[in-house]
Amino acid sequence: MIAYRAFLAGITAIVGTIVTVRTLAYGIRIETLPGIVLGGAMIGLGVHRLSLIVRARRSAP
Amino acid sequence: MAATPKPELRRSVTPWGSFSWGYSDVGADIFIGLGLVLAAAAGATNVAFLFAGVVYVCIGLAYTELAATYPVAGGGQYFVLRGLGDIFGFIAGWAVLLDFTIDITLFAWTAIDYLSQLIPVLVASAHPWTHFLVTLACIIGLCALNVVGVRESTAFQGFVSALDVTSETCILFFGFLFAFRPDLLIHTMRVDWPSPSNLMLGTSLAIISFVGLESISQAAQETQRPASIIPRTSVALILTILIYALAYSNLALGFVPWHPILDPSGHPVHFWQMFPASYPGGTDNQGKAVALLAAQVPYFGALAAFYVPVLGAVLLMISSNSGVFGSSRIAYAMSSSNLLPSIFQRVHPRYRTPAISILAFCGLAALELIFAAMPSLDPNAISIYARFFHGESGLDFLADLYAFGAATSYSFVFIALIALRLKDPLSPRKFKIPFNVPMRFRGERVEFPIVGVLGFIGIFSILMFTLQTHPLGRIFGPSWLVLGIVLYFIYRGRKKLPILHSQRRDWRKAQAEILRNAGELELMDEYVANVKASDERRAKAGFS
Repeated sequence: MIAYRAFLAGITAIVGTIVTVRTLAYGIRIETLPGIVLGGAMIGLGVHRLSLIVRARRSAP
Repeated sequence: MAATPKPELRRSVTPWGSFSWGYSDVGADIFIGLGLVLAAAAGATNVAFLFAGVVYVCIGLAYTELAATYPVAGGGQYFVLRGLGDIFGFIAGWAVLLDFTIDITLFAWTAIDYLSQLIPVLVASAHPWTHFLVTLACIIGLCALNVVGVRESTAFQGFVSALDVTSETCILFFGFLFAFRPDLLIHTMRVDWPSPSNLMLGTSLAIISFVGLESISQAAQETQRPASIIPRTSVALILTILIYALAYSNLALGFVPWHPILDPSGHPVHFWQMFPASYPGGTDNQGKAVALLAAQVPYFGALAAFYVPVLGAVLLMISSNSGVFGSSRIAYAMSSSNLLPSIFQRVHPRYRTPAISILAFCGLAALELIFAAMPSLDPNAISIYARFFHGESGLDFLADLYAFGAATSYSFVFIALIALRLKDPLSPRKFKIPFNVPMRFRGERVEFPIVGVLGFIGIFSILMFTLQTHPLGRIFGPSWLVLGIVLYFIYRGRKKLPILHSQRRDWRKAQAEILRNAGELELMDEYVANVKASDERRAKAGFS
């Protein structure tokens, strides 16, 4: 289950990075704002989930 | 002879079960919402989802705090009853009941739309009765499943939710990697920006994509250790759904299909242009937008074209099932609070499920189905609908009422959240919405929720958008509320209960009992200690 969660978290962070990088290539303006917000949120969620998994692995006996 | 204990709902919903109840309901909404919002908001679809998404986050946080603090079946209506009194509790519950019964019909109907991608005969215009009869059969089947019990359906929902999370993540991964063009997104937003009226319509429809958090609080009475589990599952659910909705809407506007999409005259069109009613078959496409998008994702689309329609249909059926579950539980809770007749409180002696409620609301859902499907079944009905119902029917009718019910009940929940923060500061809140202003109210230290006020402004504006832009929602939504209030007055009058005022209730005793029944014994002790300390403080200060 942890491997499955880590896979999903990793994919989420990667998709977030793709969206952010590709959108930022067109500069920061009103039209790119939804893409930047989305990319940032995906990176945040992915990294947060990965950190939870790492913490759980470290604290496991 | 010893008295037989009254049968109660059993606590069989686990953390994953709690998440999947919510996910299968809210997660399925994007399968319906995406096509409808693309048709209405065009180049501003992502903005409509962003606005509705921000409001949804506020709603989600409010529900999380309230469901963890008051883990009882009933969700929004219970919070409103407790915060604002009987009559408002009834109105909020009645609005949610409307939503849940529509949920049953709308999602079962759209599930068949998704299946039609693989089995076109299901929605063939030459045989309109097929779509209707299959949907009706689904409603009857779900009714039977729910009478048998929650454990079976929760396990099934958990499996499908896991499958869908994986699938949607893969669609977005391949979509953003191989088919997303930010320059196309920017171009579409500039060129195809909708009129203010269409943007309002799109935003009011976008909230449809976020309805279902009610399910988590509905399941609170059947969740193990709810005060700890509900915040965990809700926050994960809120983020997951928000990201999917924003991702799909951005992808759809900046999407370059794997194979060119041609209109009937052979001209290539952008993906989002397949959904407005002006496009041939656009109305049919609205009911299966995610399947159409998944099939056009490079590489992965070859596989997705076969399984996404099936997965979408299954998830939509589960969401329909959540409607059966939710409506029966809310009626159970309203009946327990003397807002509805006691017959809705009756639990099946063998299965321990509220069988009468399940049968009643599935029956209502079947009536809604007949009303929505009538124009496609009987050609004579089209002229009647055109004359009296602005020509709307089917999906439009159900979506209008769905948006109205959700916006109404959520508006009341925000007011109840603020009221409960002021009236009941002693209940331990294991999860609290951030950004609060500390103050004193009636001798107690309370925290005023800023997010609650912002959320109320947001959802109330969406309610106004709904009334402004949905011709049928404007008529049938308020009519449903008026019908409910009349029935409520009759019922309370017959039972000789206060009609406009609230029944006297010992909320302190009730809260301690709720926490004890939920197995949250530490929280119960904390609550009892808070009450005792408050009473001593008030006695010293000379408060009555």
